[in-house]
Amino acid sequence: MAPVPVSVITGFLGSGKTTLLARLLRDPALARAAVIVNEFGAVGLDHLLVEASDEEIVLLDSGCVCCSVRGDLVRTAGSLLARRAAGTIAPFERIVIETTGLADPAPILHALMTDPAIADSLCLESVIATVDAAAGAATLDAHPESVKQAAIADRIVVTKTDLSDPAANGLLERLRALNPAAPRLTAAHGVVDSNRLFGGGMHDAQGADVRRWLAAEALPHDSADHGHVHAGGRRGDGITTFCVRRGTPLRAVTLTLFLQVLAEHCGARLLRLKGLVDVLERPGRPAVIHGVQHVFHPPTWLDAWPDADRTTRMVVIAHGLDPLWLEALLDALDAEVAERVSTARED
Amino acid sequence: MRNDAVWNARISRVLWGALEVWGVSGTVVPDPDDANVFVISPRTGPELRVRRDAAAGWAVTLRDPASGAEVGLGRHAGLAGLLRRLRDELAPEAPAGRLVIGAQQMPDRDAGAR
Repeated sequence: MAPVPVSVITGFLGSGKTTLLARLLRDPALARAAVIVNEFGAVGLDHLLVEASDEEIVLLDSGCVCCSVRGDLVRTAGSLLARRAAGTIAPFERIVIETTGLADPAPILHALMTDPAIADSLCLESVIATVDAAAGAATLDAHPESVKQAAIADRIVVTKTDLSDPAANGLLERLRALNPAAPRLTAAHGVVDSNRLFGGGMHDAQGADVRRWLAAEALPHDSADHGHVHAGGRRGDGITTFCVRRGTPLRAVTLTLFLQVLAEHCGARLLRLKGLVDVLERPGRPAVIHGVQHVFHPPTWLDAWPDADRTTRMVVIAHGLDPLWLEALLDALDAEVAERVSTARED
Repeated sequence: MRNDAVWNARISRVLWGALEVWGVSGTVVPDPDDANVFVISPRTGPELRVRRDAAAGWAVTLRDPASGAEVGLGRHAGLAGLLRRLRDELAPEAPAGRLVIGAQQMPDRDAGAR
């Protein structure tokens, strides 16, 4: 049975997550969705609102989802899957998780990516962040959680556009600087085209999302490659997005060491990393890599390069990381590995 | 690996960047007398010397601020081990993670991926 796609809706308190979700659940395209919401506080207001729909609702009952994610979320998702398999609930085709406004979405993604109890049955499809058109800028100023939510998202929905124009007040441009690869959609009263939120392979194995990240309009500061590692960048709210390029193939061990060092020393700063990597040992078959902080999907090997550009490209969204440091680190590790290979051959 | 000016600048940048990531104030200066040595001087605490030897890898020594004597802290075959050692010495409270490869494959939306 094909894995069930999972989408995570995140966004700061009052940013319109539940309104968005409630509207989405009226869309026939999401008629067979199971929803997991997280109650935060004494009154499960979000739950009551969502409960009005006819969807499968599961209420987590132990506080913030990011704190209890390993237990409750995994157990809840597992329970849904088991009940679906047993035929005791409607055969849902998708799971949507709504986090609390204060949640860091990364631990939720980590649980979905790593827990062996559910990893084979689910596939992380997308992270959707809601940002309030009227209060969003102030929220980004005051709450680092909201910055991270927007930076880590695959799609950003600017809500309450009936109250404020996000283009006029600069919010859209700010979000673009924060996360240039994420399409920014607008919603008034929670109305948005669900086709633009779900599906489309944001975490897909074919590298389509990586190519989207690499699109010129997404990374205008990514300078032309000159056959070596190259990084460009743009900054916003302490978040930097840049592309590390390399014109020559990387040894698999160099790539592993590079990711290990990043995970070990700057996992929390490394919000997202997606890449197409030309691995020396597998010529003509690029590896798609995708990580959220220190947790990565297993690499997927493509049969062929998806476009004419056959260079390694790793797009990084990070908080407080210098692109030139990553460039130097990759160069240094590669030189070190090359030296060892050369020495081993001589021996 | 050629220990030339390019290599020297690259390693300096790696070490500088690591200090920044760990939140350590200090300097990294190539030893003018030995191109294979980098001197790391944190704003507080003793100076560390990092020496690259093609055969033996990286050696880390601590210079006693009082006597000037050098104490070996260990050898590391590669840069990854060296950075781990330096973090342990210079910023033991800095967050330390580890690479996790999840159990979940990325969704395969057509037959091209293996």
